[in-house]
Amino acid sequence: MRIFKIFILTILLFSFSPFQAFADKSDDTLVIAFSREITNLDYHYGTKTEYLILGDMIDDSLFYVENENLTYAPSLASDFNVVDDVTLDVNLRQGVKFHDGSEMTSDDVVYTYNFIVTNEKNRRHKKLVSWLKSIEKTGKYSVRFNLNSPYANLFNDLYRIKIRKNGIMGTDGNWDDNAQATSLNGLGPYKVVSFDPGVEVVLERNENYFGGPKGNPAIKNLIIRSIPDMGTQQAELMSGGIHWMYNVKKDVGEAMAKTGKADYQIGPSLRIGFLVLDAGGYSGEGNPITKLDVRRAMNHAINRESIAKNLIGGPAKAIHTACNPVVFGCFQDVMKYDYNPEKAKSLLASAGYPNGFDLDLWSYRDKEAAQAMADDLGKVGIKINLRHGKLAGLNKARKERQIRAYFGTWGSSASPDTATISNIHWRDPNKGDRNLSGDPKVNELMLGAEQTLDIDERKKLYAEGLKLIAEQAYWVPLWSYSEGVLSSKDINFKQDADGYPRIWNITWN
Amino acid sequence: MLRFIAGRLIVVIAVAITLSFITFFLLNYAIDPAQAVAGEEALFEEIEQVRIQYGFDRPILERYFEWASGVMRGNFGESYYWNKSVYLLVLERAPETITLALMSVSVTIIIAIPLGILAALNPNTIIDRFALGIAVAAQAVPNFWLGLLMIILFALTFPIFPVSGDKTYFHFVLPAIVLGASSVPPVMRLMRTGLLDVVDSDYIRTARSNGFYGWNLTINHSMRNAVLPVVSVLAVQLGHKFGGSVITESVFAINGLGRLALESILGTDIPTVQILVFIFAFMFLIFNLFADILNAYLDPRLRK
Repeated sequence: MRIFKIFILTILLFSFSPFQAFADKSDDTLVIAFSREITNLDYHYGTKTEYLILGDMIDDSLFYVENENLTYAPSLASDFNVVDDVTLDVNLRQGVKFHDGSEMTSDDVVYTYNFIVTNEKNRRHKKLVSWLKSIEKTGKYSVRFNLNSPYANLFNDLYRIKIRKNGIMGTDGNWDDNAQATSLNGLGPYKVVSFDPGVEVVLERNENYFGGPKGNPAIKNLIIRSIPDMGTQQAELMSGGIHWMYNVKKDVGEAMAKTGKADYQIGPSLRIGFLVLDAGGYSGEGNPITKLDVRRAMNHAINRESIAKNLIGGPAKAIHTACNPVVFGCFQDVMKYDYNPEKAKSLLASAGYPNGFDLDLWSYRDKEAAQAMADDLGKVGIKINLRHGKLAGLNKARKERQIRAYFGTWGSSASPDTATISNIHWRDPNKGDRNLSGDPKVNELMLGAEQTLDIDERKKLYAEGLKLIAEQAYWVPLWSYSEGVLSSKDINFKQDADGYPRIWNITWN
Repeated sequence: MLRFIAGRLIVVIAVAITLSFITFFLLNYAIDPAQAVAGEEALFEEIEQVRIQYGFDRPILERYFEWASGVMRGNFGESYYWNKSVYLLVLERAPETITLALMSVSVTIIIAIPLGILAALNPNTIIDRFALGIAVAAQAVPNFWLGLLMIILFALTFPIFPVSGDKTYFHFVLPAIVLGASSVPPVMRLMRTGLLDVVDSDYIRTARSNGFYGWNLTINHSMRNAVLPVVSVLAVQLGHKFGGSVITESVFAINGLGRLALESILGTDIPTVQILVFIFAFMFLIFNLFADILNAYLDPRLRK
């Protein structure tokens, strides 16, 4: 009996222990979880989506992707004027303050851009110097960008560069890349209260935030926790430890929603999936994929509608272009390949492979979808050896030209323009290893569309490029992805058309 | 005895060197270190710039000796992923892993020793079978599954413990049970066998004939001899816990060396992965060495 009493007392003691007091609506604290950890507060030194989300909360930039119709809207800029193809004048908002209370002026903007241009270690350096000739201060609240050549994706880059306070990253020749890594003096709607790399970031609403296209956050305190295991995140959500998590698969999300303790939303995403085919023969002799009929057969062999519907779920749809149909320039009137295994077999026969052939298919995510594709290809005679592994291994093999076909995906990180995916995937093969087409015309058209500000001309170039890619079947475009989010019943979170989570818009129910 | 320790130390050092070389070679072969540093979206020129800047263009043996000499001087290198010294990273994360390892070994002791005693005192009975059954089940269940089960049971259904995190000692209770459970079978079996052997020995019979019995006989006379091999096995298990906490730390979001290893692998952070593999293996070797020395001290026949 004594032991029983001790047991009950122990349970009661633990039940009322301090860690059971969760942060919640009562203390105006929202807790969200990422499975990938944040190791650096400075967006300029990270490439993951989590860094972009955090960056949008604690930092601000001249422009921003507005969530209603996915266009670039002035943020720190008040307005702008395209003087000519290579000159952009930007006026800045007045009265905008850094988290330390100092006012933002054109000196900060000029300093930020010059810091990146002159600092080769900065991750944005190469991209920026490719188009920025110089930036000059034209007034206390105005700057002028001088470009090397016309650059269509300019506003995307102006969104990616977060404005730093003059002098905070050091001086030319003596740059401190870690100056804002663990504490950050930004301009965003939230201020950093504390940061434990890889564990959590604690934020507090910036009461002096200027609003702008993002608007002022409704919730005062925000904690971002890194919880690597999705099952643990679900348990935290059920127990009230967190209010929001994302990258939740359809079956898991629906099962969680059935408990009545969480809401599940599955919305569109800018991410697309595709097979890249070594049409250019970079992987060596005897490559069947260099034959057009073989590539077309592969396009006909995969039942992308079924895989998108059953394995990806939500609004995921089959696509026929090398870009997400919802972004600018993604011309849809291209050659389409329906699911037709018989036609695939006959194309293989006409290409000289009536009995099919063996093929290594490399992949790094969505293994079930990769296996489904392997099965589909197997049905027409292409016997797939699925080489599913880590992205780093795939990257290395691709660099060493060992890959004949791989299953790739691209998220475009909230950038609604075909330029974001085409710039990486259709580069000159001497400047990247993703363009396996072996066709210089594709590079000329797809990257040429970035070299002009004329919208009609851009559309025309993308249309020609995408038509060529489809006709020559350089890729097997697969599907657009969906984004699943689980949220607590206490909060109101609305998914946007690009699937990018704008956390600062969350309100309490 | 000194010659025995010296011999064992030489073996440990040789294994550590071989292991460090294999780890270094495999990591640098499986992943292009320049690509890992430059990042997913890097251009060709950027990757080549990184290759020269970080010296990845030099022969692998040269780089290995540079790394090994750095480690011997306490310089573990710089993490590309975490942007800080690997030494500092390890130092920051080690306390959580040490706490978890010690708590999990405590769990093992608390469960395995009494079970072993019970089984030995009641050989071939239902109690013995029950104890063995629990031990086998504890070993058979995968860590990640048991972890999630414990969370559902003791953090959701009965909200006694927190789901995840490492802010208080309470946060370590569930992960320590999960990690400790896998070591219960060997310790429990050893305890049972050791006690059964001792119980049948002459000196215990003599003790019985002198009127000693029950717990007095078990604890004061039998246990002292039976527990000695268990101590050396526990030392080995402690070594296991340092390297075996990768999954448990990730499931319970404990910010220790195991989670650091997983995150560094996913982030292709070669310097951190390299040193962690080395540390985990080295700890295992050291605890094995300790167990060997302890055994040799207790049983002079093993020194030969």
